[in-house]
Amino acid sequence: MTIDHLTTTPTTDDKSAAHVRIVLAKVGLDGHDRGIKVVARGLRDAGFHVIYGGIWQSPNAVAQAVLDEDALWLGISLLNGAHLTLIPQVIEALRECGLPDVRLVLGGIVPPKDIPALTEIGVSAIFGPGTSVAEIAASLQSTHAKATNVAELLVSFQQRNRRSLSRLLTMIAAGQQLRDIRDWLNANRPATEASAKNKFRTIAFTGNGGVGKSSLIARLVAELRSRGQSVAVLSCDPQSPITGGALLGDRIRMSDCLPDEGVFIRSLPVASGSQGIASNLDLMSQALEGFGFDVVLIETAGTGQGDIAIRNFADALVLVMQPESGDSIQWEKAGLLEIADVIVIHKSDLPSAERMEGELREQLSLPGHHPATLIRVSAAKNTGIPELWEAISHPSFNRVGTAPRVF
Amino acid sequence: MPTSIKSDGQIAGHYGPDEMATVVFERDIGEAGHYPFTRGVHADMYRGRLWTMRQFAGFGTARETNKRFRFLLDQGQSGLSTAFDLPTLMGLDSDDPRSAGEVGRLGVAVDTVDDFHTLFETIDLEQISVSMTINAPAAIVMAFYLAAAQERGFDWKKLRGTIQNDILKEFHAQNEIVFPPEPSVRLVVDLIEFCARHVPQWNTVSISGYHIREAGSTAVQELAFTLADGLHYVDETLRRGLPIDSFAPRLSFFFNAHNDLFEEIAKYRAARRLWAELMRETYRATDPASWKLRFHAQTAGCSLQDRQPEVNLIRVAYQALAAVLGGCQSLHTNSMDETLALPTEHAVTLALRTQQVLAYETGVTKTVDPVGGSYFVESLTQQMHDDAEIYFERIRSYGGMLGAIDAGFFRREIAESAYQYQRSVDQDDSVIVGVNRFVQPDEARVETLEVDASVENTQVESLRRIKSARSASDVLRTLAEVRRVAAAGGNTFPALIEAAKARATIGELVKALADVFGQHTLHEQ
Repeated sequence: MTIDHLTTTPTTDDKSAAHVRIVLAKVGLDGHDRGIKVVARGLRDAGFHVIYGGIWQSPNAVAQAVLDEDALWLGISLLNGAHLTLIPQVIEALRECGLPDVRLVLGGIVPPKDIPALTEIGVSAIFGPGTSVAEIAASLQSTHAKATNVAELLVSFQQRNRRSLSRLLTMIAAGQQLRDIRDWLNANRPATEASAKNKFRTIAFTGNGGVGKSSLIARLVAELRSRGQSVAVLSCDPQSPITGGALLGDRIRMSDCLPDEGVFIRSLPVASGSQGIASNLDLMSQALEGFGFDVVLIETAGTGQGDIAIRNFADALVLVMQPESGDSIQWEKAGLLEIADVIVIHKSDLPSAERMEGELREQLSLPGHHPATLIRVSAAKNTGIPELWEAISHPSFNRVGTAPRVF
Repeated sequence: MPTSIKSDGQIAGHYGPDEMATVVFERDIGEAGHYPFTRGVHADMYRGRLWTMRQFAGFGTARETNKRFRFLLDQGQSGLSTAFDLPTLMGLDSDDPRSAGEVGRLGVAVDTVDDFHTLFETIDLEQISVSMTINAPAAIVMAFYLAAAQERGFDWKKLRGTIQNDILKEFHAQNEIVFPPEPSVRLVVDLIEFCARHVPQWNTVSISGYHIREAGSTAVQELAFTLADGLHYVDETLRRGLPIDSFAPRLSFFFNAHNDLFEEIAKYRAARRLWAELMRETYRATDPASWKLRFHAQTAGCSLQDRQPEVNLIRVAYQALAAVLGGCQSLHTNSMDETLALPTEHAVTLALRTQQVLAYETGVTKTVDPVGGSYFVESLTQQMHDDAEIYFERIRSYGGMLGAIDAGFFRREIAESAYQYQRSVDQDDSVIVGVNRFVQPDEARVETLEVDASVENTQVESLRRIKSARSASDVLRTLAEVRRVAAAGGNTFPALIEAAKARATIGELVKALADVFGQHTLHEQ
């Protein structure tokens, strides 16, 4: 199959254009985040897909977020008076990432006399105190993504253009041209590594909200980077059943290491009723493999129901629990204890972690249970992380092996 | 769950004796200057002495801020209040790459003890009380101040002033954080302990609700979270082995003065009563000075608008009235242009004049607690007192302060209130004059302050000169001692002061402490 055979329909349709993706972040040292958090939530309620990047971000980390999240808009909040220093740096970083068409808006305190200089270098709009969320939302909706030709996209993907990877993931998430993309990825599958140690792996993490999956993944990303492996994270968060908007905040906990070309983070909104995982995660994982990432870490939205589907294509399924939560009973009932490959007792510095481990060992030794590895980890204290990776990457977890995948 | 007293249905159209049925005068109100101090901490309040008019100031280099300080003192201001720039608040040197563009922007840039010499040049530190707004690196900045004072020959026992030194509210709201919660609190207690022994007139913590409110909390949340923070410092200092009466009298508070006049007055009154009850009944303090909640107030920055900015003068005046009717000990009035830039001298003068008119022309100072006994004010005071206690219970249910921080309780509560408020504004349920009502299309521009762009270079150059003139071996030796004490668990102050005198920089000292304590990474909830 070659590129010439592919059709060339645009990537945007009415459905995906309805949810404009915007990255919101603060650059510099200023921690005043009341405004940006209110706007983030307000835009979510207005139907946007908001990726909240948090405070203290560097211009380069912000640009990477926009690139990897395939956002059309970037909103920066500044109340530190450093806009004339930092905003040109943000614009330069966007340009270096090949994102000259991303629209940049500012919020916060900008003296009127500085506005012309900022609009001249490419700032689309500046929202001062007293701007309503509705005004902001209205001004962000006028731009739609440029239609993309999938054939051209795949050529540029093959040349390892990161934005093309990002666009491709957007198409897959929206369910566009799946067949063409899948066929092409299958046909252009990278040669299998001889060493099983560095074999491409997809690992899924599930567990209740608040159990610390994102912090755990952040630690694991750092561990993998120290081992020279490149990592992509697909992080699922629920979207509003009413507006379809979503506030995607997991990347905050993972962004300490950014910017880093060897780390790719994509936040994925999950429709209600879709079992806690985004659609077509298998194909996204394959695209990331095709692009050259060594490991893909998938974070579910934590409802547990989609985990059986994930287990069909992930190399290992990691169930994250914490002491004093009633998690073990819930997961036993949901059948998760039976299918998880690795069970993490997170926040293991809590006093009752030991008791929980004892109880779980008993449950797991009952007939009918497959032998899950049990491991205690604390992301806060950074303990147990190398052990966790050793457990996850154990050669026996090899769901798909080297045979062509059947999707 | 108590949200805001402002929500409809909680404020009645009329108040009378029935609403005050549960309030017992002797127990809950009493006389000013007497337990539980609901009516004020002094028997004669402003008849004896006016509040301190203390305008927060700082920008550019220490030289420029020293000039503004002297201007303010010449205008009749009675105390100084220092704003530091963001690199300093985050414990970074001016030549750190992360400081680029922020040096001297929002406050004064300081790197070493020499900047403190310049900052207070010709100002008699035994006569003028000095307030410093600094938190994560507060111990280091206090060490700089004490070292500079000693080098100028001032007696530490005569120094008066306040250091904010309140790290907990940074975790809740303000985000100027360097170290993780536990070692951060340890540094707060180091300062309390050192000053209790050596700088007895210094206010060691300004337990601050201001920033919690600015981040969007309700008045009740501001009240409850601030007092809960104070109790955590008290608990930790007691664990250090200090008797309650040796340090509690030097704890002070800092509240917001927001728009709703009576709600604010009730908040201050409820705060005094709650603190007195806690200190006397729960902590068994016997010195009445330990029971007294003394507070600084600042008008609400978040209430200022950039449309029709002169209207801000009027907002500030009413907010200042609330603070004074509520019995503040010192007050900062915001300038009308602060949503546009740092204030000009003209705007700062008008803000100070607002306080002077209030003090000398309106007559509100003639009698003690003029609103006391109002059915409405006393009922509201009681209600805020009770609602705050419900919040204390909720914090306890997380296993206390650090558990609640770890669970993201405070951030969630504040963000929810901020969002609900914005919705009410966007839906026109809350009116903001000039923004969603009485809008004026063609507005006059006001002049704004320019911070000289050469500040950063000047400061970096001055830092370079200091670094090349100092003894490298003294710096290394004193920094090693800071690390050793931090790891060993003793009070860090003597080592910090020695390092300050050796001209170690704020960035070097933060790094030395972080080598032991680790750095905090922000995990948003």
